[in-house]
Amino acid sequence: MKKLLALLLAAAMVLGLAACGNTNDAPADDNAGEEKTVVTLKVWAAQDDQDMTKGMIDEFIAANPDKEWDITLAVVGEPDAKTKYLEDPAAAADVFAFANDQLRDLVAAGALYKVTRNAEDVIARNGEGAVGAATLDGQLYAYPMTADNGYFMYYDSSVFTAEDVQTLDGMLAAAEAAGKKVFMDVSNGWYIASFFLGNGGTLAIDANGNQTCDFNNANGLATAEAIKAFTAHPAFITGDDTVLTAGIQDGTIAAGVSGTWNADAISTSLGENYAATKLPTFTVAGAQVQMSSFGGYKQIGVNSQTKFPVEAMDLADWLTNEANQVKRFETRALGPSNVNAAASEAVKSNVALAALSLQSQFAVSQNDVLGAYWTPAEAFGTTMEAKDYSTDLQTLLDTMVAQITAAQ
Amino acid sequence: MEKENMLKNFVAGIKSVGKSIANGFSSFFSNFVKGDIITKISYFIMGFGCLARKQIVKGLLYLGVQIAYIYYMIQTGSYYIMMLTTLGTQSQGEVWDEELQIFKVVQGDNSMLLLLFGVISVCITIGFLMVYVMNTKTAYKNQCLLKEGKKLPSFKQDWKDLWDKNYHITVLALPIGMTFLFTVLPLIFMILMAFTNYDKNHQPPGNLFTWVGLENFQKVFGGNPMWGETFSRLFVWTIIWAIFATFLNYLFGMLLAILINRKGVKLKKMWRTIFIITIAIPQFVSLLLMSKLLHDQGALNNLLLDLGWISSYIPFLTNATYAKIVVIVINLWVGIPYSMLITSGILMNIPADLYEASHIDGANAVQQFFYITLPYMLHVTTPYMITQFVGNINNFNVIYLLTGGGPLSLDLYQAGSSDLLVTWLYKLTVNEQNYALASTIGILIFIICATLSLITYNKTSAVQEEDTFS
Repeated sequence: MKKLLALLLAAAMVLGLAACGNTNDAPADDNAGEEKTVVTLKVWAAQDDQDMTKGMIDEFIAANPDKEWDITLAVVGEPDAKTKYLEDPAAAADVFAFANDQLRDLVAAGALYKVTRNAEDVIARNGEGAVGAATLDGQLYAYPMTADNGYFMYYDSSVFTAEDVQTLDGMLAAAEAAGKKVFMDVSNGWYIASFFLGNGGTLAIDANGNQTCDFNNANGLATAEAIKAFTAHPAFITGDDTVLTAGIQDGTIAAGVSGTWNADAISTSLGENYAATKLPTFTVAGAQVQMSSFGGYKQIGVNSQTKFPVEAMDLADWLTNEANQVKRFETRALGPSNVNAAASEAVKSNVALAALSLQSQFAVSQNDVLGAYWTPAEAFGTTMEAKDYSTDLQTLLDTMVAQITAAQ
Repeated sequence: MEKENMLKNFVAGIKSVGKSIANGFSSFFSNFVKGDIITKISYFIMGFGCLARKQIVKGLLYLGVQIAYIYYMIQTGSYYIMMLTTLGTQSQGEVWDEELQIFKVVQGDNSMLLLLFGVISVCITIGFLMVYVMNTKTAYKNQCLLKEGKKLPSFKQDWKDLWDKNYHITVLALPIGMTFLFTVLPLIFMILMAFTNYDKNHQPPGNLFTWVGLENFQKVFGGNPMWGETFSRLFVWTIIWAIFATFLNYLFGMLLAILINRKGVKLKKMWRTIFIITIAIPQFVSLLLMSKLLHDQGALNNLLLDLGWISSYIPFLTNATYAKIVVIVINLWVGIPYSMLITSGILMNIPADLYEASHIDGANAVQQFFYITLPYMLHVTTPYMITQFVGNINNFNVIYLLTGGGPLSLDLYQAGSSDLLVTWLYKLTVNEQNYALASTIGILIFIICATLSLITYNKTSAVQEEDTFS
């Protein structure tokens, strides 16, 4: 009997507590109703851009006091955005920066919100190339952020004259004479394309959505011969970014094909002799042909899985507006895609960005390049770099094109 | 002879499993026929056989399971099981929102989640059926006990039994439950992916994927020449790699151990310690360092160039043949200490009188090695070697950190010359998002590993002559 009483008392107490809890909770709920709705957003930005992006987000929050913001920032670099996104779209950032070569895959995966709010302004304030790179089948899918994701030629002006850097042959000869090397990562689809595209090769997408590629025609074969000669030259050196920056620093590399992300390291190493220009011409069957390149842009997209599409779009819009593009250039020397920002004197006098802008007239859009292109192109470059001539060039090119164009 | 035995055992095993299933089924129905009205009702209302016979708690538990299951099925379960047949029909869409000026995304079916929850629902159903059958058995057993005039066990009694007579159930419940939840369930989920077209063109949530049957397997075995070629070439290299990595490591480790173990060698402990020190450095650190060292522009090439020994760099990691040799050699360096450690322990256990007797009989060191040391070693370590071999087939670290599978080859689909099947699988998932193909490859790797290890393990002297060594 005593036990039962104790149990009842305990139960009564628990009930009482619960009741107290309820009465306390009720007003809190009312308060929440009066409060502004909390907008929870997740943003991805590159490791080096964290502080800068944090500042931009803080300003965004300050400029939009009508809502309660809970914006978190995570580290995912632009090159990895697609891969990370596809791992788990629901857990991916609501607003994320990515390189424009990922646009097609992201759109195919249904990953991006179409940019329709404020679209005219976005299109008007950014350069034509940047807008084109964010557009697919006439629809804008992302907010252009930078226009510097391309490559050009860095060189040591004490080794090369302005005339040397006009032709690849001239550069190789001057470098060899000086006992130095010319760097290019030929075993990389992104860079090796500059030869093929320069000599009239095309990458396109057919009606079935498969990649077409004509790198194995007569022109392509002549180009491949030129690549073979280049990679076989004693002054040629390949590798990744670390090889380039280390080589420039210790003086073994006198010139290299790379992009703005290495500008700091290279200008520090070369000091007064730091120079950059467009890619040189190369010799195809006795004639000089200008090397092309992929014109690369970085852009910000809004995740189609976001719970706050409008707010996410406003944030993406904010992060890519003129003021923030200027800020991006000032803090990280990232080339603006915004027309006004790009026209400023400071941007124009930036050596690397000036070289990129010089190269941009020969650049080709990356929108028509599918994922299938990269690995076979890299494999071809690897074969050339390894000086493995056991298979003739035509067969190699045929295999490469067959793999690139294979139906997905 | 052995094969026949194995085959017999296998057939007998299958027969006994089949028999017990058949018995379960037949008793399920015969119990119903033999059962009284209470037992019969408990076939429809779970726990009735207990409730009507005053096993209140047990009966309520059964009833609770039934109600919970029915509730779950009505709420979500039946939907997920139904969707399992198509993996979703409604793809993501969008509607124009005039006020906000945006195309609002309308979430469609998410094939991956449907597959996952479908699998979970099926598992829950199977679990429920097991409880259901248990319920009918209990009901019939109760009926029989009452007929014999015995008392039914109370809930208290059952609970006590769980800590006494049925203690094994109590102890094993948690590990089995966990294994099922964290190993078996995800495994089923991933195996099923091999029968879908889950690749980057069918990526949820934007797109749906669906069942394609055995298409992926058919593609690997010839339907897609590129996949087939890549699979067979990587398979051959994987086996070559596994053989070299396993046996060379074992051989050199054993020789090293014998060398250190020799009578004349001084400072034995110091030598052993020196070789063991390599273990102290995490494997991936030494592998990454090696990869930098052997790079085309790496320290080793630069050193050789500076010394004038070579005129151009040696493509240690960028030439297919060199890369293959390099990974095997580096793996020796990483693996020998382990096998040395294991073999020296066994070496010290070989009875010294065996050597003395053979010495008196005039045997030399080589004969002693082949007639005493090696048989003894093999007897003890063959199971270890089998695990090593299977481990090497799936040796991701050494290959991925050293060469990254490179150099890439145009003859292979998304793979390099030194890629193992398992590193190819990694590239297919991470770079290509081709989960269907990756799952197919995973299943094939499992079949290869399972077959190889089962056959070799059953052939070992350790199994066949258990408890004997002569």
